[in-house]
Amino acid sequence: MKISKKTYDWLETRLGIEELIGKSLKGYLLPRNINFWYSMGSILLFIFALQGITGILLLIYYVPDAEKAFNSVKAIMNEIPFGWFIRTCHVIGASSMVFFLLLHMLSVLFMGSYKSPRELNWLSGFMLFTLVLAISLTGYLLPWSQLSFWATTVATNSVGTIPLIGDFLLEFLRGGKLVGPPTLGRFFALHVAVLPVTIAVFVMIHLFLVKRIGISTPPFGLDDTKNRWDDGKFRYEDHPGGIPFFPHYLLQDLTSIALYLAIFVFFVFFTPSLFFPADAFIPADSLRTPAHIKPEWYFLANYQALKLFPNEFIGIIVQALAMTFIAFLPFLDRGKEKHPLKRPVFTACAIGGILIFLALTIWGHYS
Amino acid sequence: MTKRNQMKIPTSIFALMSFLACTLVLAFPAPAASQTQNVCIQCHGSLEGRLGKPVQQWQGSIHEQDGVTCNECHGGDPKDAVNAMSPARGFIGVPEEKDIPGICGRCHIGVNRDYLASAHGKALGKGGPSCVTCHGNHAINRASLALINERSCSRCHSYERAGELKDAMVKTETLITTMEDKIDTIRKGGTDTEPLEKALFSARNQFHTLFHDVDVKKVQNESARINRDLGKIDASLEAILKKLHERRIAGAIAVGSALLAALILYLLRKTYEKN
Repeated sequence: MKISKKTYDWLETRLGIEELIGKSLKGYLLPRNINFWYSMGSILLFIFALQGITGILLLIYYVPDAEKAFNSVKAIMNEIPFGWFIRTCHVIGASSMVFFLLLHMLSVLFMGSYKSPRELNWLSGFMLFTLVLAISLTGYLLPWSQLSFWATTVATNSVGTIPLIGDFLLEFLRGGKLVGPPTLGRFFALHVAVLPVTIAVFVMIHLFLVKRIGISTPPFGLDDTKNRWDDGKFRYEDHPGGIPFFPHYLLQDLTSIALYLAIFVFFVFFTPSLFFPADAFIPADSLRTPAHIKPEWYFLANYQALKLFPNEFIGIIVQALAMTFIAFLPFLDRGKEKHPLKRPVFTACAIGGILIFLALTIWGHYS
Repeated sequence: MTKRNQMKIPTSIFALMSFLACTLVLAFPAPAASQTQNVCIQCHGSLEGRLGKPVQQWQGSIHEQDGVTCNECHGGDPKDAVNAMSPARGFIGVPEEKDIPGICGRCHIGVNRDYLASAHGKALGKGGPSCVTCHGNHAINRASLALINERSCSRCHSYERAGELKDAMVKTETLITTMEDKIDTIRKGGTDTEPLEKALFSARNQFHTLFHDVDVKKVQNESARINRDLGKIDASLEAILKKLHERRIAGAIAVGSALLAALILYLLRKTYEKN
């Protein structure tokens, strides 16, 4: 008997691999009308993993000290073998994370997959979205460039507008009255320890919920597109006669990941400076304010919206309410219908919201 | 929403959600701070005609880009509207022609030295040109060989000798401009160009000292020497550009491989679907 067969049998006896594969992969059935949009989650998992790997590699050479941070990043980009590649992947990966989270959330919204019994799936997903934005923001400061320094200064300034506790919060966040070395230390700890661990926990919660409740049925290609869950007691949504996850949908996931990889690699090699404005290559100088400080593309809509309110605090409150509304949407939208064309008011509002977001983003970019 | 549904959400999740949502929106940057106050620009910028024109001309100039404002040449206090034009605050108004090289030379020390040593500088006050004769006063652009032209030089003398000087310097000027563009392209990609920028800055400064010299032979020899130095910098730039080009080739292969993998996986999935 071959050594490999012997090893397999030994493991099979102890782990029951065949049963595990049969039950969890081949026996894990998905709805027959499942579509491409259901692979967004897999793409996101892939991106999270890539961000983790590139982040760890960057940690080897990055020095979280205000005196050395900029030069350490410069060394990564110029002296360390493939350092430029790893950092560019990390930077473009950060934007990809936000972009694909938005796509994932939009597909869930339009297919009504957030409805009962998947309120917690949506909530945990929304938490992941906010955490990803937070990790992106904290990572922005770490290169200690003019862009990092001033974008963080302006971003944290908003905290100071909160009545009564604003000044205290501002100092707590910055570790002083102004952005400085203590801020770098705090943001570094958040970026490499607190937020990644929290994200990992929420990813596990999200995956547990997906597996425990079962995959939702897309509302397309069916006569009855209503949500069948009766809100009474727990029931796993199975799909008798559906397609097996392995190998069918796993191949779809891998196809989507390969397509994503092609686009991602294109950006890394052909437009590496897409997310690097000129100020990203100038060391932080607290005495010299750049002429135009703008946030990353995913904050532009909020940045522009803040300008429209007469008072910054009111603008912040309105946006906080809007975010809270989206977070608790599954608890507010109790309709049974899932097909977007059969719930025109919701679809019109959602498209309106997307158009407003895009318009504010473009306006913010050119303002 | 029914009361029972509300009960399903743990209070801690509510609290955490609200905290995160607030933290997130609070992190959004606000509009940038206003520009530094300058009463000279505020008042003259709103005037029309002779008194407003200098501000319009200055806007977009190299001096504006570098933050050199009215008081640097005209004196006065740009932060105090009442005493902005007070002689007690150093206001001199329009400088005397003989004083102009001294005023410009406060910043352009080397250039002033070269100018004063040249035939142009020696003729100052005797019909010779001052700095503003060739460079202008408010709408000052970055100094370039374009300033040496028949129309400008012929105001005082024939263009023949000036043309010879220009010809000797054109190649170097073109080389410098091309290299500046290359550095700009490379820097945008994140490559550290600081050592090359410093080397180019030094070579350009040496070259610019020739701009005020009228000795054709000397200019020809010095230009040739500077060209050799520039050639070394350009070789380094070309090596970086070559590396960037190779990266793009590797990128094209990687993109192609990923697309090919996507196609194979797609076809494999279709095969399983048929089975």
